[in-house]
Amino acid sequence: MATTEASKKTKPAGGADLANRDQALLRRIYETMVLTRAVEDRMVAMYKGGDLLGSLYTGHWHEAISVGAASALRPDDYMAPIHRDLGAHLYRGMEPWQVMASFMGKATSPTGGRDGTLHYGRLDLGHYNLPSHIPANFPVATGMAFAAKYRGQDKVCLAFCGDGSTSRADFHEALTMSSALGLPNVFVIENNQFAYSTPISMQSNSEKFSDKAVAYGIPGVTVDGTDVLAVHDAVAEGVARARAGNGPSIVEGVTMRMHGHAEHDPADYVPKAMYEEWAKKDPVELIEKVLIAAGVIDADTAAQVRKDARQVAIDARRKALGDPMPDPSTVEEGVYAD
Amino acid sequence: MPTDSGQATYLEAVGLALDHEMDRDPDVFLIGEDVGQYGGAFKVTKGFLDKFGPRRVVDTPIAETGFTGLAAGAALVGLRPVVEYQFADFISCAFDPIVNVLAKHYYRTGDSMPVTMRAPFGGRLRAGPCHSQSVESYFAHVPGIKIVMPGTPEDAAGLLISSIRDNNPTLYLENKYLYRRLKASGPIKLDPIPLGVAKVVREGRDVTLFTYSAGVHQGLEIAGELDKEGISVEVVDVRTLVPLDVETIVNSVKKTSRAVVLHEAATRMGYGAEIAATIQEEAFWYLDQPIKRIGAKNTPTPTSPGLEDAVIPQPADIAEAIRKVAKA
Repeated sequence: MATTEASKKTKPAGGADLANRDQALLRRIYETMVLTRAVEDRMVAMYKGGDLLGSLYTGHWHEAISVGAASALRPDDYMAPIHRDLGAHLYRGMEPWQVMASFMGKATSPTGGRDGTLHYGRLDLGHYNLPSHIPANFPVATGMAFAAKYRGQDKVCLAFCGDGSTSRADFHEALTMSSALGLPNVFVIENNQFAYSTPISMQSNSEKFSDKAVAYGIPGVTVDGTDVLAVHDAVAEGVARARAGNGPSIVEGVTMRMHGHAEHDPADYVPKAMYEEWAKKDPVELIEKVLIAAGVIDADTAAQVRKDARQVAIDARRKALGDPMPDPSTVEEGVYAD
Repeated sequence: MPTDSGQATYLEAVGLALDHEMDRDPDVFLIGEDVGQYGGAFKVTKGFLDKFGPRRVVDTPIAETGFTGLAAGAALVGLRPVVEYQFADFISCAFDPIVNVLAKHYYRTGDSMPVTMRAPFGGRLRAGPCHSQSVESYFAHVPGIKIVMPGTPEDAAGLLISSIRDNNPTLYLENKYLYRRLKASGPIKLDPIPLGVAKVVREGRDVTLFTYSAGVHQGLEIAGELDKEGISVEVVDVRTLVPLDVETIVNSVKKTSRAVVLHEAATRMGYGAEIAATIQEEAFWYLDQPIKRIGAKNTPTPTSPGLEDAVIPQPADIAEAIRKVAKA
């Protein structure tokens, strides 16, 4: 694993470095990040316009972590994401309209309206659909990894949580279990500076959240969470380690939550200067500049990708709005499996 | 490994069923604290590590939330974990993954989580407030969990087999007082006994005692005594609280017109309240008397023998309650 110092040197990769990378992968990462932003911006408008039930949980400035990490997996790997990880879902095949349908309680959402908002994981994609009690997805992620190991498969399970989740017992018990049993997990901590309104200074005296890895006897690394390639590389290293049977690791991505905890939250507890500083580090803009500078894409392509993403989001809204609501007469079905 | 002597104890019957299912289905594995090299706190899984190896008999750190969530994830992708909580008292440490992960996942997603949760529960061992609890009512209130509480070695085996094969999270509560005190009369049949089917374990005319777990053998002994006094007691072993066999309960009430409900858990908000309410809704006009509930007093379970016996229903109290209802 790279150390923190090393990761700080991982500047947005220059042209020479990018030439050696998988060009199709770079384009897919970029396109997914643009799409993620477009879908979330559209959903913010939908929230304000009254299209959605309840609140809306967004991942602005988390795109590099969610897409960077998900892009380090194989399609048959497992993933246990959280509510800031729309990018990870989209990267692996979730349809934007399904996410919108979930926030509307539609019959066509992945849960058919039984659950809603951010709870839209699809097992057919290998995604665990988490409950609200995060990081409850962490112990479950150890189980998916356990099953892979049990069957002699070389699959990995990638789990995400926020800085706030690291305080909970689930975090500790999952890391303890995964480390003790040597399970193929990678645990990503999305440090976005706040657990709802509580700043990281009031959550922990650890200098870095990846320091917690020391207690579990596993590698931990902190990277710039706005640099998608830095995240991708760190997670890829953890995935390779897990796949080789060498157990779990922690990757912390440092970013900023640029919206409230959810859209109902004006987040007036966040100092203005923080927003101003972090606004300069838009992960989508950063990767776009890097790819254009390296000649992986040109400015016209970038403009087209953004335009297409916007249209996908518009079309997704139209479809989700038109979809039916679930039939209340079915409400008692499916409490128990046959 | 457990062997069937023809007089298997309740504890051995649990072990026989586990062994049988692990032989039958390679996706079944055991996980919990001290289940492997130590053979479990009560030695239910003694020998399993040698036979099945550490891949399928998994000793864990002390992390109930951790290993319950692990079981949920493993079950989600096709395995059939059997989780052991060392005492049912410690299941509170796993309340969140049981209630919010396991119980709701099928309803939320249509993907099942077939986890069997075994836990020794109950009092009469002078084990005190935090090692004697009856936990069934906490979980009976949560949709999505099945609850199985066998009262005999024969049922312990057959119901555990069904629990493991069931596609839902199933809480299988073993009465630890019965572990070495109750023996089978004859070889244990290792066939599944369907969940949701109560059993009339003694036919009677005058009054029905509805009970489960340790209440079954207690009830049968008391029914034998009362028979000498001319009171004919029917004893119904509910066996599974969820799903509940309402039909067998109602049919028995229609026959005897008098009902007593017995369990070791506290009477207040105990599962007996659900049984009594169900009878009231489904068979009120067949009743000659109000339904009587018998359970523990509304206190924690104390350690000292005199105190514990004053809290948990004793045979004389149970007999007197049945007598009153039968004669009224």
